[in-house]
Amino acid sequence: MSKFSHIYIEERAAIYPVAQQVLSRFPGSTRVMIRHYKDVFNRPRQDFRRQKASTKLILAVKPEPFLYPGPEVCEDFGSQNFYYTSPVLNCIYDCDYCYLQGLYTSANIVIFVNIEEFFKAVDRQLESGPLYLCPSYDTDLLALEGIVPYASRWIEFAGTRQGLRIELRSKSANYGAIAHLKPVEQVILAWSLSPSEVARRCERLAPPLKARLKAIMSALQDGWQVRLCFEPLLKVYNWEQVYREFLDEVFSVIPAGRVLDANIGVFRMSKEQFKRISKLRSDTDVFAFPMVCHEGGVVTYEDEKELRDFFYRQLNKYLPKEKIYG
Amino acid sequence: MIYIVTALPCESSPFVEKYHLKRDGCRYFPLYRGDGMSLIVSGVGKMASAIATTYLLAQNLKPGQAEEEEGLAIINIGVCGAFHQRHPIGTPVLIHKVMDHETGKQYFPDILIEHPFKEGSVETHNNVVRREDVLSGRVELQADLVDMEASGFFQAASRFLAPHQIYVIKVVGDYLDVVDFDRQRVAQCISDTLDAVEGFIKQVEGLCRAEGDVLTQDERRQLEAAKESLRLTVTQGHQLMDMARRYKLRTGRPLPDLSEFIQTDVKVKAEGKKVLERIRRLLLYE
Repeated sequence: MSKFSHIYIEERAAIYPVAQQVLSRFPGSTRVMIRHYKDVFNRPRQDFRRQKASTKLILAVKPEPFLYPGPEVCEDFGSQNFYYTSPVLNCIYDCDYCYLQGLYTSANIVIFVNIEEFFKAVDRQLESGPLYLCPSYDTDLLALEGIVPYASRWIEFAGTRQGLRIELRSKSANYGAIAHLKPVEQVILAWSLSPSEVARRCERLAPPLKARLKAIMSALQDGWQVRLCFEPLLKVYNWEQVYREFLDEVFSVIPAGRVLDANIGVFRMSKEQFKRISKLRSDTDVFAFPMVCHEGGVVTYEDEKELRDFFYRQLNKYLPKEKIYG
Repeated sequence: MIYIVTALPCESSPFVEKYHLKRDGCRYFPLYRGDGMSLIVSGVGKMASAIATTYLLAQNLKPGQAEEEEGLAIINIGVCGAFHQRHPIGTPVLIHKVMDHETGKQYFPDILIEHPFKEGSVETHNNVVRREDVLSGRVELQADLVDMEASGFFQAASRFLAPHQIYVIKVVGDYLDVVDFDRQRVAQCISDTLDAVEGFIKQVEGLCRAEGDVLTQDERRQLEAAKESLRLTVTQGHQLMDMARRYKLRTGRPLPDLSEFIQTDVKVKAEGKKVLERIRRLLLYE
């Protein structure tokens, strides 16, 4: 069954303009009124993998809290007051390694339609000082721009606020959807990049590396600040050569001097998520390598440091160390 | 395996005939079995439906089987009433929302497959709802259809199965205006939907088919033998299976021969633990 064949709508969400906007894009979808998004999203024993093949939309109103402190496993890029927010839960891509499979029991996509309340929460937080905010962690807002224009809403909002800096992270090649906007100093467009082979094998539905690089080039040419996110680095056959050639390819297209910064992150996730996902995924080798659980309950490769150090050395050939995080 | 729950014998008889189901010796319910299908007649009401559904699944599912058995799903099929005459009598409706009138609870099947039916919601009541009850305002309906079983069926089935394994198909039997209950008419309504339901069942079986285990039967047998001869605890047994699966996913090769470990004569569990560590090294680092 096609994606978004059904749209579940919280009764109180229906009146929001965002809900109307989303619904107008899917006139043929079956609409089901619900009391609370968790009645659908949090049902017991849902099958994430099967749902991924026929994802549904859920339109809901997010109650407080709207902002969460940035997690330890995520890079703060030296920023004070690092927070993330989730105006959308789940993603249209289907990456083998994605932690969302272990975070949520459902593959359905929840769009919180009360975006203005998210903005108000940001304003309240800004009263106590500058804020570094990531609204595209538990989703890919740029990829969803054709369904709900939240990437552009966040960009426009950030452009009007002093002390706010936001990172919009994406794997999407959908830059065209926001190309009409003027670059905003407070906004960093961040692209997650993986070698072509990894993208093809482990990042189903996401655009190929070449398309992402093209989008990055367009953004740079328009004057946006661009961050490159090299994560998760995965163990693949012949990984040294794969990652060396990958960086050669990236920087044969992207002028290194124009990149704001970059971060490196070897594949890692919380112990609980790892346990849950590795049970679900008998179709990928991502979870099959020898792993170790560090203090704080984070699982990663036993030889994570070797992979990270190698990649750092290669990346450092293109970018100075001040621009490399992680 | 497809499990079917109907409230009335006249709703079950078209299935019994079409699928050549044979009466089981069950003392508690009319229960029929056939090739890849079991059908139970619950009696009227959501409590009856919940009890019969629980009986059917609890009797037939072993722990862990719900995830493993090929094409396992359960379907509640029966006639219902409709206040609005949007659907002609005899229209089968695949339910995407089940509401319990008395408790106010709502249940949602996962509809992940293409199907030939109209979709709608059903509201389950303890008592028969008549047209005049609605017209007079004594009963306020919130769903498209009215029945007396779906919420009990769904609640019970949800204890065992995933929401993509549980379906409710309601056939519009009346417009809440029944004076004399006509069993033959009900049977005819169900009969007329059988072709569509048959196609739907095939789709459901395809969706619910278990994904193949990366381990072959022979490999599983070998590992089970290792568990036993090494006197592994349940947790250690799970660890062994996990290591074996990871080995195959990572290397793409069949499992190495573990017979030397299986033949190890383990007297105390500590020895088994040592051998397990040797297997771990072999499977994770080769």
